[in-house]
Formats: sequence, C-alpha cells, structure tokens
Amino acid sequence: MGTAIKKGKLHVVTLTVNGEEHAVLVKANTTLLDLLREEFDYTGTKKGCELGDCGACTVLMDDRPVNSCLVLAVEADGHSFTTIEGVEQGGKLDRLQEEFINQAAVQCGYCSPGMILSGKALLMRNPHPTEREVREAIGGNLCRCTGYVRIVKAILAAAEANS
Amino acid sequence: MIIPEFEYVSPQSVQEACALLVQYGDSARVLAGGSDLLVKMKDGLMKPAYLVSLKNLDSLKAIRYETGTGVIIGARATHNEVMNNRLLQEKYRSVCEAAHSMAADQIRNIGTVGGNLVNAVPSADLPPILIALDARARIVGSSGERTIALEDFFLGPGKTVLEKGEILAEIIIPDQSTTGSNYIKFGLRRAGALAVAGVASSVTVSDGTCRDVRVVLGAVAPTPMRARQAENVLRGKKISRELIDEAGRIAAAESKPISDIRGSIEYRRNLVNVLTRRSLKAAIEKGHI
Amino acid sequence: MSEATTKEFSVIGKSVPKIDARDKVTGRAKYTGDLKVTGMLIGKILRSPHAHARILSIDTSKAEQLPGVEAVITAKDVPATFYGISPARYDETILAIEKVLQVGDKVAAVAAVDEETAVKALRLIDVEYEVLAAVLDPLRAMDEDQPQIHPQYERNISVEIHQDFGDVEMAFQQSHLVRTDRFQGNRATHVPMEPHAAISKWENGKLTIWSSTQSPHYFQYHIARVFGLKMGDVRVIKPFVGGGFGGKLEPSAAEYVSAALAMKTGRPVKIVFDRKEVFFHNRGRHAQHIELTTGVTKEGKILGVHGKYIIDGGSYTSLGIASAYYAGAMLPLIYEFDHFKFDCFRVHTNLPSCAAQRGHGAPQPRFAFESQLDMIAKELGMDPIEIRKVNARRPNTMTLNDLKVNSCEFMACLEKAREISGWVGKKGKLPPGQGIGIGCGGFITGAGYPIYRTRLPHAAAIVKVSEQGDIATLYIGAVDIGQGSDTILAQMAAEAIGINYEDMRIVSADTETTPHDFGAYASRQTLMSGHAVKQAGEEVRRQIIELAAELLEASVADLDIDRRVVFVKGSPEKMLPFETVANEFFIRKGPLMGKGSYTPPKLGGKFKGAAVGTSPAYSFAAQISQVEVDEETGQVMVTNVWDVHDCGTVINPNLLHAQVEGALFMGMGEAMYEQVVFDDKGRPLNANLGEYRVPTALDVPQVISELVDSYEPAGPWGVKEVGEGATLPTMGSYANAIYDAIGVRLYDLPLTPEKVWRAIHERKKPS
Repeated sequence: MGTAIKKGKLHVVTLTVNGEEHAVLVKANTTLLDLLREEFDYTGTKKGCELGDCGACTVLMDDRPVNSCLVLAVEADGHSFTTIEGVEQGGKLDRLQEEFINQAAVQCGYCSPGMILSGKALLMRNPHPTEREVREAIGGNLCRCTGYVRIVKAILAAAEANS
Repeated sequence: MIIPEFEYVSPQSVQEACALLVQYGDSARVLAGGSDLLVKMKDGLMKPAYLVSLKNLDSLKAIRYETGTGVIIGARATHNEVMNNRLLQEKYRSVCEAAHSMAADQIRNIGTVGGNLVNAVPSADLPPILIALDARARIVGSSGERTIALEDFFLGPGKTVLEKGEILAEIIIPDQSTTGSNYIKFGLRRAGALAVAGVASSVTVSDGTCRDVRVVLGAVAPTPMRARQAENVLRGKKISRELIDEAGRIAAAESKPISDIRGSIEYRRNLVNVLTRRSLKAAIEKGHI
Repeated sequence: MSEATTKEFSVIGKSVPKIDARDKVTGRAKYTGDLKVTGMLIGKILRSPHAHARILSIDTSKAEQLPGVEAVITAKDVPATFYGISPARYDETILAIEKVLQVGDKVAAVAAVDEETAVKALRLIDVEYEVLAAVLDPLRAMDEDQPQIHPQYERNISVEIHQDFGDVEMAFQQSHLVRTDRFQGNRATHVPMEPHAAISKWENGKLTIWSSTQSPHYFQYHIARVFGLKMGDVRVIKPFVGGGFGGKLEPSAAEYVSAALAMKTGRPVKIVFDRKEVFFHNRGRHAQHIELTTGVTKEGKILGVHGKYIIDGGSYTSLGIASAYYAGAMLPLIYEFDHFKFDCFRVHTNLPSCAAQRGHGAPQPRFAFESQLDMIAKELGMDPIEIRKVNARRPNTMTLNDLKVNSCEFMACLEKAREISGWVGKKGKLPPGQGIGIGCGGFITGAGYPIYRTRLPHAAAIVKVSEQGDIATLYIGAVDIGQGSDTILAQMAAEAIGINYEDMRIVSADTETTPHDFGAYASRQTLMSGHAVKQAGEEVRRQIIELAAELLEASVADLDIDRRVVFVKGSPEKMLPFETVANEFFIRKGPLMGKGSYTPPKLGGKFKGAAVGTSPAYSFAAQISQVEVDEETGQVMVTNVWDVHDCGTVINPNLLHAQVEGALFMGMGEAMYEQVVFDDKGRPLNANLGEYRVPTALDVPQVISELVDSYEPAGPWGVKEVGEGATLPTMGSYANAIYDAIGVRLYDLPLTPEKVWRAIHERKKPS
C-alpha cells in the first residue's frame, strides 16, 4: 500500500492496531516496538533484548507472531496488528488469558504478553494442538520464571475449551 | 537500542530497485525481512545510508511450479511460508523441514529465503538442502538477469556473487530424479540456535544402488560446501552400511570447520561424520525428497 | 502437616489466583520502563571498551553541544562516595574515577530528550585510556605477576576464609575411604526478562526513584548514603518487576546515574539497561573451582569433608563476601557429619562483578558434593539413595557450623523421590544410553542477619480495615518480583483476620507508605514477612472479637471469626457479619488497624562468618532426573525430573509448585546450557540471548513436583522456603544421571554435548 518512491527522513505510516486505524509520521529508523510503546502507549509489549532473541516484544502482524523489535514502523505500513491490549474484548478476558490466570502460568509477567499472543496465534490456526506444537509455538518466547510448565498447561487448557 | 539513521526507499518494481542500488552503490542495503540486517545495524556492525525495501515487490513473494523450469521460490517468501507451502511439502518436504528448523516462529514470519541466502552466514540452514537439490539462483540486475547454480552463489562468510545493483530474485529447484533427501541440523538448544554443524543429502536410488548423490555441509566451512569425496564413495555403488559409514568419515575429513564459542574443530568434524551418516540413511530410507 | 493440615484453613492452603495476574495478562501491569513522568529525559551510560585501563582524560564538550542534550556527567560531577553492599568492602563509585575495572564499566553519562539523542551524544564523548594488563583467569588472579585491580585488595584477594570444625585429618585417618575430586563451576547470570530500569525525580530536596528492585529498603539506604541525604528524603517505589533472582538486590548504575542526572538537570531521568548492559552489570553466579575431599566409613557414613575453593568475584565486591561464606556454610546442612574444613579465596578479576544468584553460592558446591557422594557410593557398592539415607539430616539437630535445624523431612523426601521416580526398577536397568540420577539440596529460609549491621526488625506489616468493614488493606514492604509474595501475604492476612482472600487489597514496596522490610532475597518473605502479616492480622482479629463480645454478650474466649462471620463457637446462630463489627469499631474508636513485625531469634555460633548460613528454618529436597544420551553427539535429553520438597506448610499449592518448576529450570540452565564467555581482552562473546542460551520450551523435561508432610515451628502456620531450594539439587542430579547412562563422570559445568562427547571419547581410548 505504499506510494511511489519514498525518500527523506519522515514517512507517513498507516496501520491498524487492535482494530483501530492510525496514520502516524515516523522516522525510518523507528521500530514498530517503539512506535507501539511510545506513540500509542501500548506498553504491554515489552523490551527484553531488542535483537529478536527473547520474544517479549511479540505482536501479531496480520495474525502471525513477529518480533516487533525487528519490524520497522515504515514496513508496518498497510498491515494489521494485535498487541496484548487487544486480546481482551469489551472488558472480557480471552479464554487463554483466563487459563493463564487459572493455571498459575504468570509469575513476574514480563514474558506473558508475548506468550499469550504466540499462544493465541497458534490456537487461531490450530485449535487442537499437541503439546509439542504448543512448545514449538512458544519456542521463541523465553521465560525465566516458570520453566514453561504452566504456560504449556494454560495453552492446552484453552485449546480444550475450544472443543 | 538505536538503529542508526538511514534513508528509506520502497520501489514499486524490481527494475526500480536495481536502479536505486546502482545509484546508491555501497552505501545501500536491501531490506527484505530485516531479521538479520536490523540486528547488525543495532549492534553497530552496519551503517548503510540507504535501505532499499522490497516491501512492494509482490512478484518476489510467490512459490509456484513452472513446467520446464521446476519449483520457483520467490526471494521474499518467509521461512514459515516455505514451511507451510503445500507445493513444497509435496515435492520437496526436506526444504520445509529445513525452514522449520530455523530460529523460532516469530523470526520465521519475518525472515526471508532471499535474506537467508544473501546474508551468507556459514551456518545458514537453507543453502545445504537447496544445494543438495541442485537449486539455481536467478539474479536480476539493471543490465539483465542471470541464473547460476546456488552452489556457486557463495564466496565466503557474508559474501556472495551479487554485483552492485543486483538482487536475488528467485530460487529454482529443477525437476529431478532424486528419490530422497534430508537435512539434519545440530544446535545447542531446540529453538533459537544456529547450527553447530548441518548436513543435507539427496540421493537417487534404484535397485539398492545409489545412482546419484549429493552431500552438502553447513557451518563447517566458510561457505556451504559439497562433500564431493564423500559423494564419490557412494555414487554408482550398491548401498551398504559400511559405505555410508565411510562416507561419513570422509565427509568429516573433507570439512573445514573452525573453533568458536559453539564448538571446537574436533567436535564439529565428529558432528559431520555422525550427521552425514544419519542424513544419508534418512534420505535413502524415507523415500521422499 | 502440609497439605493435610491446610485443609483446616479457610484461605491459606488454597491455590487462589494471583492478586496481580489480571493486570499481567492484559498488559496493564506497568514495569519501570513502561512508566512516563512529565518532563522526563532519557539517560544513557558510556561504558568502557577495556577490561582494565586508567582514565587519562574525558572530553565531553562536543556531547554537551548536541541539541537535545540536557546534561553530560563524569566522575567529577557526582559524589565520589564509595559504595557497595558488603560491609567493609565499599569499592564501587557511581562513575569510574581513576580506573575502569571491566569491559562495560561506567565512565560517563548523558541525559537527553530522547534515546537517539542520548546515544548520539555518547558517541561524541572522547575518552583517553591507558590500557592496562587485565586479570582474566581467576585461578591465576593471586599470582605475584598479576596486575593489581583494587589498591586495597592485595593479590586481588577479595576475601580469604578459613573455617575449621572438629579435626578433618583425624576424620580422614579414621575413614575407610577418602576421595579427592576437583570440580569447575561456570559463570552464569540471572537473565531476568526485564532489564534493570529506574526513573529518578529530584524535587524540593527530595529524591523519588521508581526502580525494578528486589529491595526498596536497601536501595533507599544506600542511595541516601551515597548522596548524603537523609533516608526520609529518598523514596523508593517498586512498580511491577520482571524477575530479579538476586541481580536487583543493590542499586545499579540505573539508579545512581539517573539520580545524579535528575539532580543535575532538575528533570526526571529514566535509565533502562539494554540486554548487553544487564550482562555488564551482572552480579551473577561466581564460577567456583572446588577441590573436595570426603572421608567415609565402610558403611558410607561421612566422617569429614575438606573443601578448597577459588571463586571468581569479578570487578567489584557487591554481595560477594556473603556468596563466599555461603559456599561453605551450606555444605554441612543436609548430611550429618562433625568434621569440616573450608578454605576459600574469592578473587577479583577484570570481568563483570559476581554476587548473589538464586541459591547464593551454594549450587556449585552442591553439584560437587552430590557428584562425589555418588562416586563414593559406587566405590562402596552402595545405592546412591542408600548412602544418602545413611547420612541424611534429622529434625531438631544442630549442624557442625552451629546452624539450628528444626523441621527436617529430608529422609521422607529421599524415600518419596525413590518411589515416584520408579528408581528401583530403573537404576542400572535402563537400556544403554539411558540413566537415572539423584541430587539433593537444602537452603535457608531467610538469612538470620541482614546485609548491613542494624537492629531493625526484618519485616513489618500494617493492616487497615476499611471503615465499612468490607475490605482490608495490607501494607507491607515485602517485594513481589514474580514469586507471588503479594498473593500469599494477602492470603495470610485474610486467614489471620478471618475474612476472605477477595476482601484483601495490598499496597507494597514503597518506602514512604509501606512499613520496613528487607526485601526479596534469601527466600525470606513467606516466613519473615509472613510472621509480621500474621501478627498484624491477629491484632485486627483481637480488636474485632473484643467488640463483638460486647455486642453479642458473649465472652471473648467463645468467639471466632471465619470467612467474614464473627460467631460464638458452638452456637453459630449467635453471629454478626464482620463488616458490621468493623464498622461499629470505626464509629466508636476510629481506625481499625493491626501492626506486626518480625525479628529472627539470635542465631549462630561465635566463629568468624558464623552469621552466614543462619536462618530460622531450612528447606530440604531430593531431585531425581532421567536422561537419554546420544553417545555419538554427546547430546543429553533430560526426559523427566521428579522433585520432592520439604518446605513446611503450603500457603498456595499452585504458586509453590510454580516456584519449584522455575527454580529447577534455572538449575537446568546452569547445569547444561549457560555460560558467559569472554575473549582474551575480557570482552564478552555472548552478552545476548542468542548465544547465552537459556533453555526454551522445547528443551525442558517433564517435571513432577511433589511435597512431603512437614511443619516448621519457626514459621507462621509452619511455612518454610521453596524459591531457591529447587535450584540446588539439579546439577548433581544431571551429572549423576549422565554417569548412570554412559559411565562417564563430568566435573566441569555446564554439561554441554561437546563435553559429554569428549568424556565418552576419552573413556573409549585404550589406556
């Protein structure tokens, strides 16, 4: 959806975040992560390493998980994003969020937004994943607190609720 | 962390992109997925003044079959798109498996085939299996295009044959009589790990004889390398456990690993031995490419 | 009396959802880096590229002129006060004065309108260094020819410890078998998912700091001291914290530098470390070189142990003195023996500073001991669990280093672990390449003495009931860093008062509004903060019952409160709702509040370092793991881990098991995957999360976490710790399982595939 050759230091970017369309002016070297956190105050998306190794900055780009620290805001033009703030709908928690609470899958909570989005994307494309598939879906989300045990349980429990 | 400032351009056609690359010369880099480029820029290892984005070049995205040519993978296809592609799963499942073994889901949704090849990291996971399948690289530039064997694409760590103004457009896997192929990667954890060593093999087997074979090693030389001496052990011979073992030993001796924080020379040679044996066995027994 | 007894309780013993879980799963939880304060600037620190160098000059003029830069500071602009956290070893300054002592040491700092400007300004600062030879090998740090890092620590010795109990030489002479083995531990680090971060605001002579901290109190104390402020003028507030594990127990450059910049500019300043800076700050696991000699009788009874250690302390002392003492203090905890010699040198190197990391100095010695005990068992022809049962500590005993153990169900842990793992059918009977092994551990439940000399209680709590009586607010200094202290302390308060968990609110970890608590370390809060909370809740309960006795015309002794109902025991129809009585209390007497505080009893012996290791209570654990080894590549797959814990009464079963799972996971990472490595110039080669490999969800085994019945008299409702105990057994358990699988012994952490392969290779060589 870009225009003809864009040069210069500032660019207009149109993108949809959590269902709302936005048009913003950004420098080329702005990451999507910084755009979300600073411009939209969606601080639920976290900075863990900024190099694509930890997954704390995971958002859904057209329903697919990506590391927002490695997406330029200018490349986000024309795409649709979901952050953790967009997972609950009308004040009602997503089943996955409820299971994270019920299964005690949240300790310090810093990895939780990324984990939930990776889990959500998995369940959207594969409503009945195996345990292995769940672990693969969160293979790029590092957690230091839980050993992943209850996170996997929570995603599987949410999947079960789908049946 | 900060990405150093740059000018961003997103041309509307491949030709336009090539023209820009000629114009900006060494101060420009191509932006495909960005998963490698942006990391280097954040680490201060690269400071291009211009990024030429391929974002609008939809023609480079497609994965399709062309009669007379083979399977064509656009350079902008992401690793997950390769992994999930029905055509590739049917015809060259090992390529899907190799893509699957990379990094993690998030990176696979950003990183592209073209990016993986052009970055030319010695431990890259796609080159070995693609070379084992005799892949070609179609390169487009301002003054025309050329298609070369992927095997000849790499010159050294971070170096390819691409000239100023050229873009890797497509990878072609030609129709072939291969009966089985396989890629095995050894990493130090089960996601988010570079290959300490990786071996891809492809075989054409009939009547228990190995008519043709390719063994390609990754992460144990400056570029992906054919283990030709190992291949010679098997080519034209009746397959036996002893021959496969010998091929493994010879591949290990042929390899040129270095010692780094992920593994020593000795250990990597051992991995080449083991993985070559296992890769060949799987390629022979699996019965799919 | 753990899970059985808790059935008697109304609130504790239940797996209630975490009090902050909803905030965390919706993205509403704000961590320090998420906060924005009006007028805020961004601070960035210039760090040394050299491991050891003299600073000859710093020219900040170009940086100062960059538009958007509000301040540039070097050592001359900040207090030169030396700080640290180990008493008598304050050896660090806000910015390096004469020398830099590691790659990443703090040299200068900038406050600017945004991050990009700040980073550009850093690049405009010119520093002239005289590069010095660096000390990079801890085993050579004390050699005569090595450069001296700190002027005051001769031969780079940070601390030298010699403890001698009984007579080890005699014990060895009397032993049937004496073994000496050498082990090498790895330099690991915490990797909290949230990097260190602080926002400092300086207004009207008062400093307010929001910080990702494990201890607002220690932060307040040290920051006040360094800046010459009274503690009341330093307010430390903890927002949500994304993990600490020991790395956020002392103020870092994030706090000190942001405070200095805030004072200089008059504007709030935020500093958030990037991941590399977290590695530079470090304060993680000391790599310990351990020579362990143990003598046993023919029956496997341990008679004496001699441990000789050299541990790598890195650049600054930080909490490292305690780490060095803990390395010895915990060794005689879980097995009973009378003769012990501990010789330890903690040395300085020009590498990032090491301090407290989950298990604090004890995991690597545990690895050594558990490995050696298995080797001894093999020589004696004994089963590894049998030899541990011969030596297992019993309850109500005193260790040889004067640590008083009350409850101890270690024997039960061993027996249960044997049972649930299927040990008997597996040990020595698994197919080739598969093995099963055991490792054990025990840890303190809070340190008997605080980090600096003070008579302050260790924890305090205030409960205030609302005027309507419908909710109660718990004010505590205790710090929730993810382990769930807010939740379980709220449960404890509700239980003590007689109301429901849902009626509790909590305000925690703000030095201006919450009472004193030393913070989250040494697994202290469930017991220590819990005591204070229980006391505060019971004071509220007493006041309610007194008034209800009047209102119900009953005697105080006949009344009870449960789940918001005040009733006469035996005649439940004679009752009043809690809020009715509470509301009436407020009308007649004013605020309904309860207070509590806790100081542990005087513990420990009289010898040098006796304070370290003291604790009101100790946890115990047995951990069995099953592995499959690919002998051709050396890759070890841990398929199952069974952990059996003695941790006293359980306040929240889900959170408890979650802590075991997490602690075990960290032990696993250190056992097999993690090591910080440097080049020959002291530059880190893997200060990132791609090459410093924390295990992923695909790497972890199936974990079964179980408990044994246990009741600790020194803990409120019988509680003990669990957060660190499960890290200790893991490394030994894996090493022993690998030996069982392939008959090779590894002495060197982490147990990487290459090391396993080499060991197999060596074993196969004809000798």
